[in-house]
Amino acid sequence: MQPVGHVTATTMRLFFVRITLGALLVWVAGCSEPTIDEGVLPFIVPTSTDADGGSWKTVVLKAATDISVPQPLATTSAAYQQELADVKNGVLAATPEQNTAVNYWAYGAVLRWNQIARQLVAKYNVAPGYDYATGQTTPAESANPYAGPPYAARVYALLSAAQYDALVVAWRAKFQYNRPSLEQQGVISRAPVLDVPSYPSEDAAVAEVSCQVLAYLFPKEEAFLKAKATEHKQSRIWAGASVPSDVKAGEALAATLAPKVIDRVKADRFGAANDPTNTWQTALAKAPYDQKWTSLEIPARAPILPLAGKVKTWYDSTSIAKLVPAAPPATTSADFQKALSEVRDIATARTRDQSRIASYWDNGPNTYSLSGLWNLLTEEFIRENGQNELRAARTYSLLNRAMQDATTASWRTQYTYFVPRPSQIDPTIKTATVIPNTPSYVSDRAAVSSTAATLLSYLFPSDATKLTAQATEASLSGLYAGTHYRFDNDEGAKLGTAIGQLAVAAAKADGAK
Amino acid sequence: MRFLLLALFTLTTLFISRQARAQWMIGGFMQGHRKASLAIIGSQESYSTYFINKTETKNPNLGTVTTQALTAVGTYGLGYDLDLIVAAPYIRTEASAGYFPKQEGFQDASATLRWEAYDYKLGKKLRLSWLFAVGYSMPIQNYVNDAMVAIGRGSKNWDGRTMLHLKGKSFFITGQYGYIRRGQVTLDHVVNYYDPSQLNPNSGSKVNVPDVTEIIVRGGYVNTWLNLDVWGQQQTPYTKGTDIGPGIPFPTNAVGFTRLGATAYLRLAKQFGLTAGYNTIIDGRNVGKSSQINAGLVIGHWTANN
Repeated sequence: MQPVGHVTATTMRLFFVRITLGALLVWVAGCSEPTIDEGVLPFIVPTSTDADGGSWKTVVLKAATDISVPQPLATTSAAYQQELADVKNGVLAATPEQNTAVNYWAYGAVLRWNQIARQLVAKYNVAPGYDYATGQTTPAESANPYAGPPYAARVYALLSAAQYDALVVAWRAKFQYNRPSLEQQGVISRAPVLDVPSYPSEDAAVAEVSCQVLAYLFPKEEAFLKAKATEHKQSRIWAGASVPSDVKAGEALAATLAPKVIDRVKADRFGAANDPTNTWQTALAKAPYDQKWTSLEIPARAPILPLAGKVKTWYDSTSIAKLVPAAPPATTSADFQKALSEVRDIATARTRDQSRIASYWDNGPNTYSLSGLWNLLTEEFIRENGQNELRAARTYSLLNRAMQDATTASWRTQYTYFVPRPSQIDPTIKTATVIPNTPSYVSDRAAVSSTAATLLSYLFPSDATKLTAQATEASLSGLYAGTHYRFDNDEGAKLGTAIGQLAVAAAKADGAK
Repeated sequence: MRFLLLALFTLTTLFISRQARAQWMIGGFMQGHRKASLAIIGSQESYSTYFINKTETKNPNLGTVTTQALTAVGTYGLGYDLDLIVAAPYIRTEASAGYFPKQEGFQDASATLRWEAYDYKLGKKLRLSWLFAVGYSMPIQNYVNDAMVAIGRGSKNWDGRTMLHLKGKSFFITGQYGYIRRGQVTLDHVVNYYDPSQLNPNSGSKVNVPDVTEIIVRGGYVNTWLNLDVWGQQQTPYTKGTDIGPGIPFPTNAVGFTRLGATAYLRLAKQFGLTAGYNTIIDGRNVGKSSQINAGLVIGHWTANN
C-alpha cells in the first residue's frame, strides 16, 4: 500500500499535466494568422514651411511660372465662408471610415504615392515566364516585356519629378495669394497640417499628378488609382486641412502639368529598350572583351532590356556618357583569375550573414527593385527629418532621377562589354540569389546604391556614416551572392558615386537651402 | 513498437521537411513508464516535379532536388500515460541543375508530450485508446529559409493533435487529426511582393506562415519481432497562403500534400531493431512531388507488442 501523501502528489501532478495539455490544445487550434500591417505610425510634424519654394528650379517645367494658378475667391466672400462652415461641420461629423482615410493620407502625400508606385512596380515587374510543359513563353496576366531594374527606376523618377514640379507650382501660388490656412481660421484639424497658405491644396496637386502619371504608366490600374486619388483629395477636406476650392485648384494645376510629364515619358527612348529587332546580338559580336556573355538560363533568353543604356538621362547626358568605365581585365589575365577565385572561395564557404546581405540587396524579378528599396529607406530619412511635402518631393525627385541615370549608365556599360557572369566561366560557382540575365560588368546594384548614398549623404548629413555603410554593403552583396566580381562592384560604385555627385551639384543649384 | 512507429513517422516526414518541415508523425503506442528508446534514421528523398499551387511543373534550372537527412528521435515514458518525445534532424539538400547552392545544417528540434487520456477494453482482445499530443518545434540554427533549395522554412510551431488508437492481438489502426500552428518568420529582405490585402509596403521583413491541418491514418501488423504497416497522411493549409513564384517569399506559400507510405520494423535483439520505409507524395500544393526511402536503428525499449 502506497503512502497517502505519494498518491496525492502523483494525482496532482497528472491532473496538472492534463489541464495544461488540454489548455494548450484549445489554444493551438482555431487561431487565425496575426495581421501584418504598418501599425499606428506617428505623424511627422514638418519643421519648415519653405516659403521660397515657388522659386525652386523645376524639372520638367522650365519654371513654376509655366503654369498659372487662378486667383482664389477672397476669404471674406460668402462662397468661401460657406465652404469653411461646411468643412468645420464635416470635421465634427467625420465617420470612422473618413478618419481612417484621414490618418492614412496624413502620413504624407508624397510618401503614400511613392508606396503605391512601389506596389505597382512589384506587381508589374514580371518578365514573361517559361512554361516547361509547352516550351512556350507564358502569358502571365501581368507579364511585362519591359520588366527589370530600368523599368522600375524609370517609374519612380517620372513620378517623383512630376510630384516635385506640381508642388513647386503649388508653393508659388500659395505664397502669391496667401489664403490663410484653415487652422488660422479656427478649424481644429484631425491631423497635423503644415502652416502654409491653404490655396491651392498641395495634397490635391500630388494626388492628381501622381494618379495621371501612374495611370499612363500602368493603364490597367486606372480605376484603382482614380479611387485612391479621390479618397486622398476628400481626406484633406475631412481632415479640416483644405476647403473644396483649395482642392480644386490643386487638382487643376496638376491636370495641366501631367500631359507635359507624359510628353517627357513618350520621348525618353525607353520604348525601344527591349530591343525587339535583337540588335544586341551585333553589339555582342563587336564587344571589346575576350569572352562573350551568354544567358545562363535554361532555355537561354535574350538579356534584359539591352537598349536601356540609351534611355534619355535626367542629368547631363554628356557627362554621364563620359563616366562609362574602361573594360575590365581580360579573362586570361592574372587579375581576372584572382577576381574569379575570390568569387569561387566565397561561394564555396558562404556564411549565413553573406547570404543575408545577398538576399537583402537582391530585389530581383517581381519585386519593386533595388531603386524601390532605396525609396523605402529614404522614407525613414524624410520622416526623421520632418520634411514637408515639397522637401520630400525634392528629395525623391533628386534621388530617383539620379538612380535612373545610374541604372542607365550601368546598362550602357553592361551592353558595351558583355562580360560573362562568374558562373559562366566557372559553372561550379553557385549563387545565393538568382543570376540576373544581364552581363556582369558593372554591378548596377553597386552603382545605384552608391548614387543613392552619395546624394542622401548630402541631403541628410547626419546619416552619412550609415548611408556609406549601406552602399558598401550593397556593393559587396553581388560578390557575396556569387553573381559579381569585385571589379564589377568597384567600378559600379565609382560610376554611381560620380552620378550621385551630379545630383548633388543639381541639388546645390536648385534654389532650395 | 511505439518507438518504432515513432521512428518511422519521424523519418517519413521529417526528411521531407524541406518544404513540409519537421512535422513528424506521432504514433498511438505509449512508451511505458520510465522506459526509453532512441532511433537514428537516415533518409533520402528526391523530386524533379513540383507543384505550383496544384499544377505540376518542372524547372530545367532546378533539375532534381535531393535531400538527405539524419534524424535522432528519443522517447521517454514520464508516466504510464504520458510520454515525452524529442527529435532533431540534420539535413542536406541540393539541386542537380542550375545555380542554387547546396544547403546543409540542423533543422528544427521538436519536443512533444503525448497523453493517453482514455483506454478502453473492447471484448477480450481489443483495446481502444484516445490520446492527445502537444508539441513545439523551432529551428536549431538560423538556416536560409527563403530559397527554392532550403532545409526548412524557419518558423516556430505549435502542434496539437488527437488520436484514436485501436489495437488487437496482432494488428493496430490509428487515426489522428492535428493542427499545426506556424509562427511568423523574419526574412532576410524586406517583403515587397504585391498583395494589398495582406501586406503593405511598410510591413518590414516579417511574414505569416500558413497553419495546416493534418489527418493521418495508419494500420498494420504487429508481432513480437516484426512490424509492417501502411499509412496515409494529408496536410491541408488552414490559413491563406501564397503560391510558389518569383518574388514571393517561400515561407508564405500554402503547402499541402497527400502522402502514402509503408514501414517495416524488425527486432533483432531485445533492445535493438532495424527499420526501413518508403513513402511518396501523390498529390500536393506548393511542394515537391517527392519520394523517400529511409532506414534506421532503434535502440531501447520497444513496446508496441507488449
